[in-house]
Amino acid sequence: MTAAGRPLVLLVEDSEPIRAAFTILLEESGYEVCGAGTGAAAVRLALARPPDLVLLDLGLPDCSGRSVAGALRSAPSTATVPIVALTGRDDDVERAALLAAGCAAYLVKPVDTQALLRALPGYIARETASPVADT
Amino acid sequence: MSDLRLWVQGGDEARVRAVLEREGFRLAESPRSDTDPLPAFTVEPDGSEAGSAHPRGDGARRVEDLERAVLELRNLDVAKSQFLTNVSHELRTPLTAIVTYGEILRDGLLGEVSPRQREAIESMIGSCRQLLGMIEEILTYARTNAQAISLRPSEFGVDEVVQAVHEMNASLIERKRLGFAAQLAPGLPPVRADRDKVAHVLGNLLGNAIDFTPDGGEVRVAARRSDLNPGWVEVAVEDTGIGIDPAHHELIFQEFAQVDATRARIHHGTGLGLAIARQFVEMQGGRIWVESEMGGGSRFFFTLPAVEAAAGAGGSVPSEAGEAA
Repeated sequence: MTAAGRPLVLLVEDSEPIRAAFTILLEESGYEVCGAGTGAAAVRLALARPPDLVLLDLGLPDCSGRSVAGALRSAPSTATVPIVALTGRDDDVERAALLAAGCAAYLVKPVDTQALLRALPGYIARETASPVADT
Repeated sequence: MSDLRLWVQGGDEARVRAVLEREGFRLAESPRSDTDPLPAFTVEPDGSEAGSAHPRGDGARRVEDLERAVLELRNLDVAKSQFLTNVSHELRTPLTAIVTYGEILRDGLLGEVSPRQREAIESMIGSCRQLLGMIEEILTYARTNAQAISLRPSEFGVDEVVQAVHEMNASLIERKRLGFAAQLAPGLPPVRADRDKVAHVLGNLLGNAIDFTPDGGEVRVAARRSDLNPGWVEVAVEDTGIGIDPAHHELIFQEFAQVDATRARIHHGTGLGLAIARQFVEMQGGRIWVESEMGGGSRFFFTLPAVEAAAGAGGSVPSEAGEAA
C-alpha cells in the first residue's frame, strides 16, 4: 500500500498500448500502477517494492508467465502477493497449471474492465488467494 | 499415378505447379464437378518425350520424387498456417487496446459522457469484439489445419454441454426474443469425446441458428440415440430461420464458403465456423450434416460416440455425407 493508501498494482504486459490503457484504467480507479514489459523487469520491480497485486500477461518476450509467477512465489517478500494471469487465448492446460501455481485468476483478453475492477479488491483482500477459475 | 488428385486453392496453383514440375511431374486439370468449389488436378509423369526420354524415368525414382514434392507441399501448408497464427496474434493486440480504451471512456473514467456519446462508444466496442471473435475463428482454423490441435477425450453427459452453451447464448436469445427448448431423450448415455471441442461445435451451431432466425422465432437443441449409427448419440440444432438451399448443403462445411452475398451480409462471419465444426466432429470419428429447405428453417446434426460403444469405436464410422439430406 502506498502512502496515500492506494493499492500498488504491478502491471506486466509487453504491449505498450495495452499497458498504457490498463495504466489509465487502474490509476483512474484508485490504484497506483507500476508497469513492466518483460518478465525480468517484473521480478526486479516486485522484489524492490512488493506490490499488492500483480496483473501478469502470459505472452512475454523473455520468458513464460508461469516462470514469473514461480519466481514471485519463491521469494519470501512476494510469496503471498495475489497474481492475476492475463492471456491472449484460452487454454485449459495452461489455466490449470497457473491456478495450481497459486494464481488468483486466469482471465482471457480483452477482459471486461468493469468485471476486473469489481474483482480486484477481492483478490487483494484475500492476499494468499485460493484458486478461483474465471473466464 | 494418375489416381492422385489435388485440390488447389486459387493463389497456390503456381507454387504447386512449380514444385511438381521441378520434380518431373505435371498438373493436368481434371473436369470440374459441381460439388468441388476448387479446381482439381491430376498429377502425371511429365511424359513430354513419350515417357522414357525423361532423365529420371524409372518407377522407384518417380515415387521418391513425388514423395518429396508432397512433403514440400505439406511444409508450405504448415508455413501458411503459422503465418495465419502470427497475423491473428498481431491483430488481437491492438484491438485489445482499443476495447480497453473504449471501456475506460464508456465508464466515464476520463470524464462524463453524454448518452449519445456512450451509445457511439458501445457500438465501437461491440464491433471490436465482433472482429476479435472472427480473428479467434481464423486462429482456431489455422491451428486445426496445422494439426496442432489434439483431442482430450473424457466421459460426460451431453446435457451439461447443452446447458453451458445455452447459458453462453442466453442474452442473445433473449435480445432476439427467441423461444429456446432443449430436448434430451430419456436414458441418453454419456458420450466419450473432447468436451471443449463438443462445446465449440454446439456453440457454433447454436450461434448460427440464432443469427439466421428472425426475431420471435424458435431454436431447439435435441439429443437422442442415433437410429442409423448404433452406439452413437445424435445431437440436433434446429431453427425456424431462413433455411439453406439444398444445393449448398455440402458447400457450407467447406472453409471460406459463404453461400451467397446475402448470407454473407447477414452472417458477417469468416466462413470458417462450420468448417471448424466439421473438423472437430470428424476428428472424433463422428459425422455432421444438415437438413434444410429455403424458408423452412434448418436442422444441423452431429454424432458423438456413446460411452458403451467407445471400446469398439469406429465400427460405424460415417459414410460419405450427402445422403443425409
